[in-house]
Amino acid sequence: MRRFRLRDALPGIAPLLLSAVVGLSAARAADFELPALNTPPSEEHHMGKMVWADLVTPDLAAAEKFYGGLFGWTFRRIRVGNSGYAVAMIDGRPIAGLVEKPIRSGERHQPAWLTFLAAGDVEAVKRAAVAHGAKVLADCKSYPMRGRQCVLSDPQGAVFALLASSSGDTPDYLPVSGEWIWSSLHAQDAGTAAAFYQELFGYDVFDMPSEDGAEHLILSTDDYARASANSLAGGSLRRHPHWLNFVRVEHAADIAAKAVASGGRVLVEPRADRHGGMVAVIADPAGAPIGLMEWTDSDTKAEPK
Amino acid sequence: MKTMRTPLLAGLMGSVTLAIFSACTVTGVGVDGSVGVDYGYPGAYYEPYGYDYGGWGGGYWVGPSRGGHRDDHGDGRRDAGGRDAGGRGGHAPAYRPAPRGRSAPSIPGRSRGR
Repeated sequence: MRRFRLRDALPGIAPLLLSAVVGLSAARAADFELPALNTPPSEEHHMGKMVWADLVTPDLAAAEKFYGGLFGWTFRRIRVGNSGYAVAMIDGRPIAGLVEKPIRSGERHQPAWLTFLAAGDVEAVKRAAVAHGAKVLADCKSYPMRGRQCVLSDPQGAVFALLASSSGDTPDYLPVSGEWIWSSLHAQDAGTAAAFYQELFGYDVFDMPSEDGAEHLILSTDDYARASANSLAGGSLRRHPHWLNFVRVEHAADIAAKAVASGGRVLVEPRADRHGGMVAVIADPAGAPIGLMEWTDSDTKAEPK
Repeated sequence: MKTMRTPLLAGLMGSVTLAIFSACTVTGVGVDGSVGVDYGYPGAYYEPYGYDYGGWGGGYWVGPSRGGHRDDHGDGRRDAGGRDAGGRGGHAPAYRPAPRGRSAPSIPGRSRGR
């Protein structure tokens, strides 16, 4: 009987192995099926608008239960590399992602929502950011339906992401209850932070001091307020700059109470903000902070367009 | 025949190595300074531990205005602390302030389907 020799079999095996390699790579690429922001796609683009948020959490199922109960979000599980990932939807529209990342025992990490700001050309905005002192935490990467995105930290340390959506940015409508309505940057120096983001997105910056004199800058594009830059509130040494995203709610106090009943915490009790509606900050069961903001349909006085 | 097999074998080994590298997770450095597994998705970053929202007093505002308020813009007005708005403590701000006379806009007010 003739002995099997690998070298003799190589010419036959090699094509099969090469096919497997190609197939494996294709399968990995197919894992990254982040949903498009808009279906059908649009041509709308709004530089500097908060268009997406990803929660990083150690317990995906618990996060789904918490946010689903609070805001009426529904979820669709997808695989993203080795992570568990759930797309949060409202009225059938994808609005956020929940990424599961285990925390090993003994480690202390801060679950948080990552804010994605719309950028027309991610590479160009990234270069501008780095030139002005930002650090690249995750370099630019393209996803077939989503577009191109990367993660940065600004010069003061606040983490944010850039996204060039291939299906257009989320349209400029008043968010419905349960949708993102606002983002605020909390920085050591709000003015310097505003200057940094102005270089990236061409924001118009309006100085609207808080009632207590704290710096509160409104960042706008297309004649719409997109975000604010705030000086970090005083009274604590354990603080670091960060972005905070707000969900529109009908009754902030009710949602805050529901959050506590669901295992969350209230970080900032409901209180009236500039527009007269109530805002609050809660933490989910894993500790990720998220804002609540009341906004009635009549709160927007003048439509600038 | 032998000369043909050697590059073939080398190519095969290279392909397998490439496959292993592309299929496996790689090590990355998180924003928290921890070195760990990069889950292949750029959004999977934990932030530095410890948020503290102490200090949000009643006058600490974070949200947008309702719009249409010309005096919301800090063109020459003074804030509650008596400082010139548009430049802290009378100094020119680091950013370029919006042109004088423009009021701060609000968020979009148009409803879906309208």
